Amino acid sequence: MKSKQSVFLVLMIFAFIAAMSACSQKNVPPPPAYGAPGQEYGAAAGGPMDEAKWRELGINSEAEKREFLDRAQAFVNQDVYFDYDSYTLTEPAKKVLDEKIAFLKRFPKVAVTIEGHCDERGTTEYNIALGERRAHDAQHYILNSNSSNLKLTTVSYGKERPVAVGHDEASWAKNRRAHFVLNY
Amino acid sequence: MFFCFFLFLGTCGLLRVASAQTIYLDITKPSFQRIPIAVPDFKYMTPEQTQLAREMSDLLSNDLNISGVFRPLDRKGFLEDPQLMGLEASEIKFQDWSRQGADFLARCSYQVQGNSIKLDGRLFDVAGRKMVGTPKSYAGELRAWRQIVHAFADDIMMMLTGERGVFDTKIAYVQSVGSAKEIFYCDFDGNNPVQVTRDNSIALSPSWSPDQSQIAFVSYRDGTPKVYGINVFTNSSYLISGFPGMNITPAWRPGRNELAATLTKDGGQDIYLVSPTGQVIRKFGVGFGSSISVSPNWSPDGQKFAYVSNESGNPQIYTFDVTTGQKKRLTFSGNYNTSPAWSPKGDWIAYSGRDNGELNIFIIRPDGSENHALTHEGRNEAPRWSPDGRNIAYSSNKQGGSAIRIMYLNGTGDWQLTRQSGAQELPDWSPRRNRQ
Repeated sequence: MKSKQSVFLVLMIFAFIAAMSACSQKNVPPPPAYGAPGQEYGAAAGGPMDEAKWRELGINSEAEKREFLDRAQAFVNQDVYFDYDSYTLTEPAKKVLDEKIAFLKRFPKVAVTIEGHCDERGTTEYNIALGERRAHDAQHYILNSNSSNLKLTTVSYGKERPVAVGHDEASWAKNRRAHFVLNY
Repeated sequence: MFFCFFLFLGTCGLLRVASAQTIYLDITKPSFQRIPIAVPDFKYMTPEQTQLAREMSDLLSNDLNISGVFRPLDRKGFLEDPQLMGLEASEIKFQDWSRQGADFLARCSYQVQGNSIKLDGRLFDVAGRKMVGTPKSYAGELRAWRQIVHAFADDIMMMLTGERGVFDTKIAYVQSVGSAKEIFYCDFDGNNPVQVTRDNSIALSPSWSPDQSQIAFVSYRDGTPKVYGINVFTNSSYLISGFPGMNITPAWRPGRNELAATLTKDGGQDIYLVSPTGQVIRKFGVGFGSSISVSPNWSPDGQKFAYVSNESGNPQIYTFDVTTGQKKRLTFSGNYNTSPAWSPKGDWIAYSGRDNGELNIFIIRPDGSENHALTHEGRNEAPRWSPDGRNIAYSSNKQGGSAIRIMYLNGTGDWQLTRQSGAQELPDWSPRRNRQ
């Protein structure tokens, strides 16, 4: 009796843990995280992994899981940058996107949101539109690369969510970006 | 405040026929001299709420000052005790007022009974030694005394300029609340700020409906930018446009229950006409390829709108004619012109233009002529006109953090509307309330 009770208890605990991790993140673009300005938000991957998520991503072996976690960090940490008032993809921007394409080809089942951002200098509404074009052009470049099964969405935050809060070109350049978020 | 019972007993309509002349004043000319007016404390007919004698006089003076038409005289120079001074022409010592430099005199009395207040007001032409128009009477709830004074200010404007003032209007704006942004509105003079949204998200771009009952706005509360509407009386909100992608810069069409907005539902950015329930009525087709098309703002007859496009290589203001489907470029100087606002008089379009590295408010005729800057320092954007086309509200950081400021359309009379902590931006000036 006792051992059955213990087994039952252990199973309940596992079930509880599984339930908690399943609740932590749904497969939709995360709502904006309102941390202090400068806090990198959306950078973290979509919460702790569990077997259900790995299965969704089609990742099975331990080696693949390690590879994914390593490369996912680089994927979200590396932004695509733009020139002032521009949404043209520069050569460095394309190089970054090429690396992201490689990741997405390797893990085609992951869902991605591309955020468009601007520096503080333009007007608020125009910057939302400009950010949208930045995210859109990054998305288009990826879609044109013949990658299949890609779940890419975009959202623009204009100048509302800067990562750098200085009033100089060093900060502005960091804010003119397309930022990639993984959703799983 | 909106539920207060308010009764206007004047004879405004008949007045214009009966009065000697309708004086039209052009306050837009730089040479315009504001009219000196005396506004003594109101006379209380019973010793109830006697402090309102000064408060109401202050409010009326402030209204008349903000209008840009008047220069209220300093009360310190007044000779008579306002509680003893007469109310009718036969009792007014016009010579004394003339010596004090007043061209006009606003003389009011009031009576408080329980929760009600009654106000009587007369406007006097000092040189002519007579009353202008007819006596005005107002009655309402005591707690609505500000609205009653505003009504008299509107009537003074009507009697002297042929057009009501804007003293019953509201200004909506975006207020930073922590790291969120919410929609607020206040009276045209900055009093009574009211919080409208409580979504703890980013809210932007308020736009008043023509009947002053709804505000359309953009919110990220659902993750991506969508256009919502909110009823300012009931505070109930509803989705207007939530297509995939981006739904931004709503602009309620004058006289119609429709809005223009920028959507990306078909891939590129374009400006669409939508119903308040999200039906797409028309795609205007001003965008093409990968261009930006944003910030529509209607002409007063609702037949045209100004908007921003970067199709020339950088953002410029264009106008679009809804009937002909033709677009026309409006701005040709500077390389960053955004945020257009068409005057309700139809005679000017305001916008924010980058000039020597800073953003300033410009106005330009709809035919492209007479382009000039109204502001010259700080960072100034998001202009919006008062319903009489005389004043412009805008966001500015010229005195520290971002606040809403107001100035006359000739650039003078600049003052700060919002005084709360945090940042305020993106104003929208409501239409006048429909009366009678």
